[in-house]
Amino acid sequence: MYEHVEDRAALYALGALSDDERAAIDAHLRECSACAKEVAAAEDDVALIVSSEPQRTPPAALDARIDRLVQTRTVAALGRSRRPAWPYAAAMAAALLLGLLPSAYFWSQNRTMHGAMLAQSNAMGRLASAPHETAHFRTTSASPPAEVMYALDGSWYVVVVRSASKPLAVAWMHDGNRTMLGKAVPAGNVAMLYLPRSHRMDRLALMDGDRVVAVATLSWQHAVPNPAGPAPGNPS
Amino acid sequence: MPAAEGDEALAAAFAAHEGWAFGEAYRRFGALLYSAAYNVLGNADDAQDCLADAVARLWRSRGAYSTSRGNLRSFLVVCVRNEAISRRRRQVRIMRLEERLAALPVEHEQLRESDPIDRDRVRRALLALPREQRTALELAYYEGKTHSEIAAELHEPLGTIKGRIKNGLRKLGAALESTAGIERDRW
Repeated sequence: MYEHVEDRAALYALGALSDDERAAIDAHLRECSACAKEVAAAEDDVALIVSSEPQRTPPAALDARIDRLVQTRTVAALGRSRRPAWPYAAAMAAALLLGLLPSAYFWSQNRTMHGAMLAQSNAMGRLASAPHETAHFRTTSASPPAEVMYALDGSWYVVVVRSASKPLAVAWMHDGNRTMLGKAVPAGNVAMLYLPRSHRMDRLALMDGDRVVAVATLSWQHAVPNPAGPAPGNPS
Repeated sequence: MPAAEGDEALAAAFAAHEGWAFGEAYRRFGALLYSAAYNVLGNADDAQDCLADAVARLWRSRGAYSTSRGNLRSFLVVCVRNEAISRRRRQVRIMRLEERLAALPVEHEQLRESDPIDRDRVRRALLALPREQRTALELAYYEGKTHSEIAAELHEPLGTIKGRIKNGLRKLGAALESTAGIERDRW
């Protein structure tokens, strides 16, 4: 058991500790949320100093190196990319094929609708071309029927909520934790969320605010290996 | 600092070790992280290696970040800076060894990268600090020295140095936040 960080939070954030001292604090921070909070405040101060200094653009070679490193296969629908990325172009092409182009009007006006469109076109492409399983969400009478279709190698998931009247969050339930994955946003009367992933998830929940309204249990008995391999530490 | 749209979702995915979150975090914060490394190391090649090594280290060490660790952006900045400082210390050690072997005097100053004009805002905020706090903070931030080295150099007890750095960093952060607010208001 390591001692609490106390007055070493600033030293840690500034890099004024030896490598051994820093490693000991790293280990402690994984277990102590009070110390993590102390350190986070000091890290905010250091980040503020760094962001006040001259900023430089990373070379393109570094971008490619990082991409290779983390094997990024998708561009998240969250936030902006600094470069034009092929998934957006592919999503537009798929939208054309699927007759979704009229919805493109909303692209520039509504980020949420943009996300829903992207999800729909990606999801349709996956469902049409790849073998997959389906699991139904066990719902209460107050929640709409829903299901999740997922690749046999765990590389993607599509959550579909029928008769949806409002966005519902989708969460991964694992190890007593709940990881928020995104929101299924209604487009027409169907809400859909496409989730590219690199690992298998056993339980998904639909959430209305903080309330779980439905849970789906996914079976992997027909699973096939994921070419990218399971994510480190995840069940496979 | 207010969180940007989607920051919480990105932080949760990063904490869950989702591959795409690492790529997306780099896309959002890459320039800041690269600058953090560059400003410590002073050259592009080392800054690139440092940033790639920091990302690789985070990728290997599942659980290094959790949402209880606070703002993902700040966490990454500190990770990259710490990686850069460790790298610079190694360089200094190697340089000292080489210099000793060559019977040349040690020249610490050549590793210091500074751009006083560009760093005016930080410098102004630093100058407003009490001299003792400023000196300790400068030795830690700009020279990458450990608190033990600073204590030895300034002939002060470790506890005194810890206190000066802690209080100095708080005041500097508050001052920069306040000037950032003023600049935002001007827009």
